[in-house]
Amino acid sequence: MNNDQKLGAWKQDRLLKGVILVFWTCFWSFNVVDKAIGGSIFLWVGRDRFAQFQKYFASAGLEAPLIADAALYVAAALEVFAFVFFAGALWNFVRQRFQQARSWCFIGIIVTLVTFTFFSIGDHLFGDRFELLEHTLFWFVTIASWVVYVRLEDESPVFSSQQTMGSRRYQGNGSVVILAIGLMILTTGSIFKYNNDFFYRRTAAIEAEPVGKDLFKVAFPFLGGSQVFEETLAKFQREHPNKSIDHIYTAPNPLRLKKADALIFYIATKDRMVAIENKSLTHE
Amino acid sequence: MNERRILRTAILSFWTLFWGLSVLDKIIPGVHFLWVGKDFFALFVKFFGSLGISDPLFPTLALAGVSALEAVNFTFHAVTMVRHIQRNEYATDYWFFRAILTSTALFTLFSIADQVFGDRFQLLEHSLFWIILIGTWWVFNALHKESNEKREFPQRRMFRRSLVLGIALTLAVCVSVSGFSSRTFFKVNAPVVGIEVVEGIYKFDFPFLADKRVLESTIASFRENHPDLEITYIYTGPSELNSKKKTHLLLYVFTE
Repeated sequence: MNNDQKLGAWKQDRLLKGVILVFWTCFWSFNVVDKAIGGSIFLWVGRDRFAQFQKYFASAGLEAPLIADAALYVAAALEVFAFVFFAGALWNFVRQRFQQARSWCFIGIIVTLVTFTFFSIGDHLFGDRFELLEHTLFWFVTIASWVVYVRLEDESPVFSSQQTMGSRRYQGNGSVVILAIGLMILTTGSIFKYNNDFFYRRTAAIEAEPVGKDLFKVAFPFLGGSQVFEETLAKFQREHPNKSIDHIYTAPNPLRLKKADALIFYIATKDRMVAIENKSLTHE
Repeated sequence: MNERRILRTAILSFWTLFWGLSVLDKIIPGVHFLWVGKDFFALFVKFFGSLGISDPLFPTLALAGVSALEAVNFTFHAVTMVRHIQRNEYATDYWFFRAILTSTALFTLFSIADQVFGDRFQLLEHSLFWIILIGTWWVFNALHKESNEKREFPQRRMFRRSLVLGIALTLAVCVSVSGFSSRTFFKVNAPVVGIEVVEGIYKFDFPFLADKRVLESTIASFRENHPDLEITYIYTGPSELNSKKKTHLLLYVFTE
């Protein structure tokens, strides 16, 4: 390996280690911000952890909000310290104190492992198997991050040979750039055109299609939300003043064409009962 | 700071707790005070029912077999932990290998069952646990080969400052959490106010804290406030109508 290749490998190692530290620092800082904000505000949706914790503890018979608060304090403390140690590692890393960065990163990794272990105990207790998988995966991703971080310090042949590839100069960089720019223009143009042509679907009412006696089908576009639903019902009532909605049936997923169909619902109606002059009720 | 020993302790703590709590979940079936857990018996009965086997003896036997293997996994991990605390390196490696072997065997059995019962999501879940176990074993054994490798501690001054910063940030987050909790806890049983979105149709946007009690109080409150209206139908808005993670549950009440 010549000096240029060694320099290229060294740069890649450092860059990847920096990427690992930046990722975990961002990960924990945003988790802390999410805890501090709590609910949903303008420009931040996040996750309502208080509601989640409150429901978990209520399901175990502990309804007092103080219990959910206490559990959130512990979670927040663990997350804050994970953030502080990863931020410390990043600080040392930027200052090129690499041994110190490693020590800070290791403490960050251990606090992260403890955090996910704490969460997984909760998942067992509250019977949430999906969250258990999620937290076990995060636990493993933490360990894997540490493995990569430590391994990047090694001078093993496998890593060196892979790393030095990046330091070589390739032919045809110009055509790759032209191809990439061409594809960028194509996709951007396509997205803007789609937005221009179809964004009205976000709010526009949909036509209810009659499919049987007193039965109408409404097939939602993927962009549709609650506003489309409400506009559709209003339009339906305007167009069918003699009908009243008896019930709405949402087509379940197995009846939809996999990913091609969005929400489909059926409006079942009956003839509207109106009061006539002699005050008795009759079908219109 | 002995990185190898600390990392091994973290790994063993996780898996010992994982299997210990899994065994406890089997010992305490159903929902109790301070323990919710998962009803594996119901799950197994449904799985075997889908095969055409309605006799409860079969799911009971299967669940007993799974629980027995989980108990073995827990025992092996607990023994490994004890050996690790006793600083017996040879015995720790020996018992951890056994623990990993029985754990991967259990997830292999689970994955066979997932294929038989056609549950592809559980197959993914169990395959992920399986590879995590193998990865864990590799990290446990191969990452830090030197048992007495020592690394330097973080700078004392910066460490102290970080602890102070951490405590201050934690206190700030705790104050924020308390404030949010006291501001929103009333939503646990407060009725939701409906908005008339179409003539005779009212929309109720339920908060994340809401449960069945909120629904009941909402309907009662709606009837009280609109004595002239009769509820003819209640429609639960499907998830497609929600603004992704911002909306919890939409309910439409049709009246005449």
